[in-house]
Amino acid sequence: MFSFRRCGHRVAISLTKQYLPFAGLSRDSAAPCSPHFDVVVVGGGHAGTEAAAAAARCGSRTLLLTHRVDTIGEARQMSCNPSFGGIGKGHLMREVDALDGLCSRICDQSGVHYKVLNRRKGPAVWGLRAQIDRKLYKQNMQKEILNTPLLTVREGAVEDLILAEPEPEHTGKCRVSGVVLVDGSTVYAESVILTTGTFLRGMIVIGLEMHPAGRLGDQPSMGLAQTLERLGFVVGRLKTGTPPRIAKETINFSILNKQTPDNPSIPFSFVNETVWIKPEDQLPCYLTHTNPRVDKIVLENLHLNSHVKETTRGPRYCPSIESKVLRFPNRVHQVWLEPEGMDSDLIYPQGLSVTLPAELQEKMIMCIRGLENAKMTQPGYGVQYDYLDPRQITPSLETHLVQRLFFAGQINGTTGYEEAAAQGVIAGINASLRVSRKPPFIVSRTEGYIGVLIDDLTTLGTCEPYRMFTSRVEFRLSLRPDNADSRLTFRGYKEAGCVSQQRYERASWMKSSLEEGISVLKSIEFSSSKWKKLIPQASISTARSLPVRALDVLKYEEVDMELLAKAIPESLKKYTKCRELAERLKIEATYESVVIHQLQEIKEVQRDEALQLPKDLDYLTIRDVSLSHEVREKLHFSRPQTIGAASRIPGVTPAAIINLLRFVKTTQQRQGAMNKLPQTDEYLRDTDKLQEREL
Amino acid sequence: MWRELWTLAARAARGSCRLCTRQSSGAPAFGSGATIFALSSGQGRCGIAVIRTSGPASSHALQSLTAPRDLPPARSASLRLLSDPHTGEPLDRALVLWFPGPQSFTGEDCVEFHVHGGPAVVSGVLQALGSVPGLRPAEAGEFTRRAFAHGKLSLTEVEGLADLIHAETEAQRRQALRQLDGELGQLCHSWAETLTKASALAHVEAYIDFGEDDNLEEGVLEQADSQVQGLVVSLDAHLRDARRGQRLRSGAHVVVTGPPNAGKSSLVNLLSQKPVSIVSPEPGTTRDVLEIPVDLAGFPALLSDTAGLREGVGPVEQEGVRRARERLEQADLILAVLDASDLASPSSCSFLDTVVALLGAQSQRLLLVLNKSDLLPSAGLGPGPNLPPHLLLSCLTREGLDGLLEALKKELAVVCGDPSTGPPLLTRARHRHHLQGCLDALGHYKQTRDLALAAEALRIARRHLTHLTGGGGTEEVLDIIFRDFCVGK
Repeated sequence: MFSFRRCGHRVAISLTKQYLPFAGLSRDSAAPCSPHFDVVVVGGGHAGTEAAAAAARCGSRTLLLTHRVDTIGEARQMSCNPSFGGIGKGHLMREVDALDGLCSRICDQSGVHYKVLNRRKGPAVWGLRAQIDRKLYKQNMQKEILNTPLLTVREGAVEDLILAEPEPEHTGKCRVSGVVLVDGSTVYAESVILTTGTFLRGMIVIGLEMHPAGRLGDQPSMGLAQTLERLGFVVGRLKTGTPPRIAKETINFSILNKQTPDNPSIPFSFVNETVWIKPEDQLPCYLTHTNPRVDKIVLENLHLNSHVKETTRGPRYCPSIESKVLRFPNRVHQVWLEPEGMDSDLIYPQGLSVTLPAELQEKMIMCIRGLENAKMTQPGYGVQYDYLDPRQITPSLETHLVQRLFFAGQINGTTGYEEAAAQGVIAGINASLRVSRKPPFIVSRTEGYIGVLIDDLTTLGTCEPYRMFTSRVEFRLSLRPDNADSRLTFRGYKEAGCVSQQRYERASWMKSSLEEGISVLKSIEFSSSKWKKLIPQASISTARSLPVRALDVLKYEEVDMELLAKAIPESLKKYTKCRELAERLKIEATYESVVIHQLQEIKEVQRDEALQLPKDLDYLTIRDVSLSHEVREKLHFSRPQTIGAASRIPGVTPAAIINLLRFVKTTQQRQGAMNKLPQTDEYLRDTDKLQEREL
Repeated sequence: MWRELWTLAARAARGSCRLCTRQSSGAPAFGSGATIFALSSGQGRCGIAVIRTSGPASSHALQSLTAPRDLPPARSASLRLLSDPHTGEPLDRALVLWFPGPQSFTGEDCVEFHVHGGPAVVSGVLQALGSVPGLRPAEAGEFTRRAFAHGKLSLTEVEGLADLIHAETEAQRRQALRQLDGELGQLCHSWAETLTKASALAHVEAYIDFGEDDNLEEGVLEQADSQVQGLVVSLDAHLRDARRGQRLRSGAHVVVTGPPNAGKSSLVNLLSQKPVSIVSPEPGTTRDVLEIPVDLAGFPALLSDTAGLREGVGPVEQEGVRRARERLEQADLILAVLDASDLASPSSCSFLDTVVALLGAQSQRLLLVLNKSDLLPSAGLGPGPNLPPHLLLSCLTREGLDGLLEALKKELAVVCGDPSTGPPLLTRARHRHHLQGCLDALGHYKQTRDLALAAEALRIARRHLTHLTGGGGTEEVLDIIFRDFCVGK
């Protein structure tokens, strides 16, 4: 969001240039000169672009406000690594794509090195990843954003929020009705999404030097930060860091381990058969390692390193080289040398995040094998920034305090492009649904990594930058990269309207083909000895005398659809024509039995998720529910929306849950008497349908 | 501690979050949720005990225990012989009731077993139910919660539910803590540690989330494998030692031994409150092993009177002595009886030196009883300075009987588990259930080559163990990963 490269030489941007002529027409009666939009998105990073595009796809007239149009898609352009996806993160991207989000499709057009991680560990944990050409990504993203119908993009920095009286039927002390830009102009909006990333009071740290990360003379986030604080938002502080950049031509690659991309490349998006670039044209990555000399430089200069000494929480999984050396002494650490783009002459040394003074960074780099003569083009640095405790937002990412105000991305304490993009899509969809007065679009923990991410944030909060891991996911074997479309595309199409007809049809075709394929595979049964003859490569056990289904044969590691179709071409040949279909059939077979059992557990969790707690419940004063003071405070702060979420908040006792449950039932009975259609039952029916979809 | 409390709480609150049925093959297809079972009547001894199941596999459970009979007519009592579905061993003749949902207490398919109230029967039936695929022990308040969820309880009826669940959760917590003091608790704890803390699961999770990109040390997986292997061996050994449960079902074997004419038969008669054995002043009166089931201080026991141990008598008595020695080997608890007034005699001395010392060396549970204390000089002086710990008793005057019963109670509590505190029957069934579930899951871990599936197996195994010990959230695993490995970009 903020761009360090321009520190110092760029002063306030106050122009509000309009890029698409048809939107932005005023229709606001109170302020006839001010434009009025359904949804205004502040920030053009990964969360902001996804949010704006999603809101527009849902049919809302949307304005994306960004510092500069030409930095769209360039979030924190220096601060993090030039790659997308990975383990857990790749899962998020598939889910964003299943909701017709942008980043997966853009990555399929912008990568320079595609590689699926965890190939040998089972398809449930495969991590799609690619090194991205920053310039290409930015170009493609801008092209996409600037050509999205209903979406207007403007340059402008937001100084403050316009607040109005709250809607009486919702909770919250006020309602956001627009934003004030730094030039004093106003834009009115039905919903506002803030995706200001690390912009809130960001500080850059190199050695003992510290300076504000915003542009000099232009501190829009100060006003915004103050308003948020005045409204009563609880703010925390986090830190992160970035490695130095190295000039490509000064590296001796010939003595380093080379990592080549996958052949063929696996695209991120469900709608792409292939990526834009052939494997042989892609760029390699290289691997080198730290050594004791690096440790020595770090340890001898700790007094020159204020970032490391700070108590602000940094991510444990994205440690600086200093913390690696301190916590794991006498070890050698990996450094991946990653290309920044096709025609970039920079290399990103992943694993070498450092905040030492610049000259010591250079000295340290030159100790490393392959980098003996390397030239550092930019030093690494640390960033400290404010985030807003995510327990202050609902699972739809709307804040509890201010109606129609949504937060997405790093502002909620997450780290990573994919985590930001995932929140962006959800915020965009919900901001739009809020405008059209439709129920929110919530992804449950049982439906996707997006659900786990948002549920963890909103019920547990976070005290370090939150990153997605597969180990956070209870239903990892059901929530796989391959089936994200069957989990989310149909819901997105029907409930949110954020999915294109074309994608919907493709997902429907895939779903029916999979179902058909699986039932065919179940119907083919031979004795194990016959299977052994048909597929001699497979180590089929002949101990069992019962007939064996083709689906069970497909479970063997060495059997794939290709092999099976060769044995029984008449009924199976057609399923090998589509690579994705054949692969997904194989994956479905692998996890068939476990997933059946997992579904049972998912149902039990969903039962609790379906029991919604009234949003306007005042936990501190309510008399009808007997709750301890401690529990009341916890519930008051996190405001869980369902019994399930409440039960995951540490400190909320089972007795409290039962009391809440009783309260919900009474409320439902009262409501049911009034309108005869209890919402929870409706939701239950929907989730039942969803599971049927899931094969 | 806090974590443990919370886990218990979360579990009780959420009902089940377990996958114990996952490992079982051939389980019936479940409509929604697992099938739960529990002892619904009070703990301890009572005339009739009611055991309930609720959930889609209820009918399957009923048929498994009453095979080969059909389901009884709905909602009417039928007398059925219950037997263990695996061993076929008869458990009890019981009234069973079959309530097909939704017309049942919980709204799901339910079965009630009205069995005889002895702890052995109840424990047997609970264990048998636990072995039926698709069934797992109920969490605190889970029946009521299910009933509530299905709209089977009016709101006034649930008024007390929170208190009830609170109480049950408290009881579980106390029970969990109490168990942790015991031998089994320590074992479970160390197993859970192996699985989570000492790394197996954390290492596999780390290997999945970070293995590709970061340089985890070599052999992370191999280390996990060997830890899992060790765990399998010790779990297996423990489960095979089902003697405790066996003891409770059929009674602990309490064997009375001693030199001839020490008063063994008198003691047996005293304890059984029946003239079981012929008592005479003549040494060698008892020649065969006499068995009698008795209630010893509230524990079921099989009391055996044996021939006095001595050499060089007739062949019949020799056979009796041989049988006595054989029985000693199988004993869960030995009552060694000596004549307090005759401790200096060669037979007493040799019994002390050989039998008692030998049994002590084998760490057999043994109570040394000095009978005929009425014959001792009234000064109350001990019968001798060099004796191991002992109890004084007079079978004639019954002096010292209370002390003996107290000591028996302590010993039997160790041998059988103490049914008077907490809900130990449930505990035992739960233990078995979770330990077996853990073992099955570890078996799957070893078989599977898909690492995601392998990790899932470990997650299931860990969940089973944490149900016995508490703790074990995702954060805990992540904490270990970040503690043990230098990971990240």
